[in-house]
Amino acid sequence: MTRNLLKHDSISDFLEILATWGKLHGPVLTDDGVTAFRPLGPGIDLLLDYNRTLVPPKKYLLPPRDAVLFFAPNEGYRQPAAAVPETILVGLHPCDLQGIAYLDKAFMGDRIDPLYRARRTALTLIGLSCEPDEYCFCDDLSVTETHGCDLFMRRSPDGFHLRSNTPKGKAILDSLTPILAEGEPLPADSRTCDMAAEIRQASDRGETFGESELWGEFAGLCLSCGACSLCCPTCYCFDIREYGALNGETAMRLREWDNCLFKDHGEVAGGFNFRKNRQERFQYRFQHKYLGFGPTRGIVSCVGCGRCRVVCPVGIDLLELFKEIEDER
Amino acid sequence: MSDSRDMTIVPLPATIMGRKAMTADTALYRLILENSEKDRFDFNPGQFIQLSVPSGGEVPITLAGPPLLQNSFELCVRRVGHVTEMLHHLLPPDRVWVRGPFGNGFPLREWTGRNILLIAGGLGIAPLRSLLYTLLMHRGDFGEITLMYGARETSAILFKDELVELSGRRDMHLFLTVDFAKEESLGGLTCNTGLLPTLLKGVNFSSTGTVAAVCGPPALYKCLLEELQELGIPAELIYLSLERRMKCGIGLCCHCAVGDLFCCSDGPVFRYSQLKGISGAI
Repeated sequence: MTRNLLKHDSISDFLEILATWGKLHGPVLTDDGVTAFRPLGPGIDLLLDYNRTLVPPKKYLLPPRDAVLFFAPNEGYRQPAAAVPETILVGLHPCDLQGIAYLDKAFMGDRIDPLYRARRTALTLIGLSCEPDEYCFCDDLSVTETHGCDLFMRRSPDGFHLRSNTPKGKAILDSLTPILAEGEPLPADSRTCDMAAEIRQASDRGETFGESELWGEFAGLCLSCGACSLCCPTCYCFDIREYGALNGETAMRLREWDNCLFKDHGEVAGGFNFRKNRQERFQYRFQHKYLGFGPTRGIVSCVGCGRCRVVCPVGIDLLELFKEIEDER
Repeated sequence: MSDSRDMTIVPLPATIMGRKAMTADTALYRLILENSEKDRFDFNPGQFIQLSVPSGGEVPITLAGPPLLQNSFELCVRRVGHVTEMLHHLLPPDRVWVRGPFGNGFPLREWTGRNILLIAGGLGIAPLRSLLYTLLMHRGDFGEITLMYGARETSAILFKDELVELSGRRDMHLFLTVDFAKEESLGGLTCNTGLLPTLLKGVNFSSTGTVAAVCGPPALYKCLLEELQELGIPAELIYLSLERRMKCGIGLCCHCAVGDLFCCSDGPVFRYSQLKGISGAI
């Protein structure tokens, strides 16, 4: 027996201790009825039983608009001073942890993005177990539960079993000991999902579903609203825009969320567009999500969170492509 | 190297040393990096830079001159967007900012001993000019060198003075064609009328052991590639320089993917054999 059990009636003490480690953020129900990651504080209830947030936690690492360079005539272009406050993100489901692990590969792999690294280093991840709903199709959870976060909270009838995975997580767990009860350490959860297995196999064979008639159907329905990419925990493609100040001298260069379903995504100077129609844009998104390109080649970046299936206003579901193959068998 | 001096992340200042108008909307710029003793600027033909004009933003531009030009470099820029529009208002010794160089460039080392056929359409002459001058700098390493260059009309032909000089060289062949015009003499240059594939059919050149480097608008690739293969140049030896809107240049922003390849970091120069079967590649 170890002291690793967080009982339900100790949650407020738990949050109080966590807050000594950094600014606390977690899933809350906002006034407009949306589940969102927000700062926690007095009078704000942390949701420990929720399906999914609308916007994934990528916003903590890649804000929708992020100043990457400042320009002044006598200084040229310079990077912003990276002063990022310590942030504790509590209540992340395994799919969102997997999403962050993927972003880490893209932004802190062979080439390190300084802004991303500054934010990532200041971020402590506290995972939370979940129960899948009809939109979820996540794969085996044990990896994220044991590697993808600093601390993991697994729900049990008595409360939450805590497990630390990193030195930071261990230090936090130690600081929590006074409020924890003794409990049996639980083995990491493992859950299998047929859909996730199907996706992995299709990706391994480099499946593009090029002949499928579904592409035409999707393109016919799609409104190019871009909601599916916006709410995707691993969609990170960005545009770079420069905004001159009114003084006519200084300027700010921003990295802004972009969207491969938008028409101008594949446009080049002079107006020629390499992905003029929706079908081409859909296939581009599919390529990135399920086959990868560049440094993420061969990596499936769909984590099965189900957000795109929930938010699409016309009910497009890329998983139908995989299901079609399954049905043919 | 600290981040603040990492030229792939933070643009460094460069002075415009020269500007030469080529056509009504296209000019050749010669730039030199400031403090360039520390940052010796070297590149391979076919690579590109990200050019910044403050308040306007950044655009990818191919390097148009030979490498190691006393540490300066040349860009041939057409005024087609808001950044290039702003650039066209600048004159020596105004400043711009530069990141790079990015991309792979043409694999010259693999071409030793081969005949080289360069085919440029329109502004596609820019990277091939860089390539051509580099080949000529190491003339003895290569076989026959042929440049075929097509433009829409005679007034759109870029680098006319240089073409006149090149046409007088005995160690390379030069063929020009324009889409619309009467056959005319052009300040000492002979120019055909018709599209590049037609020119290609009509010209005798040795296709054995020949490498082709092609750069031009997508419409050019579509008709030219079959023609080149029929003439006996295999897809593995046809190199294309692709255009995409690279926003970052370092394989992150995800705007320039071609199949599972990034134009900015895996390209922009690809063998045609790499691109076959990739829908939307050309």
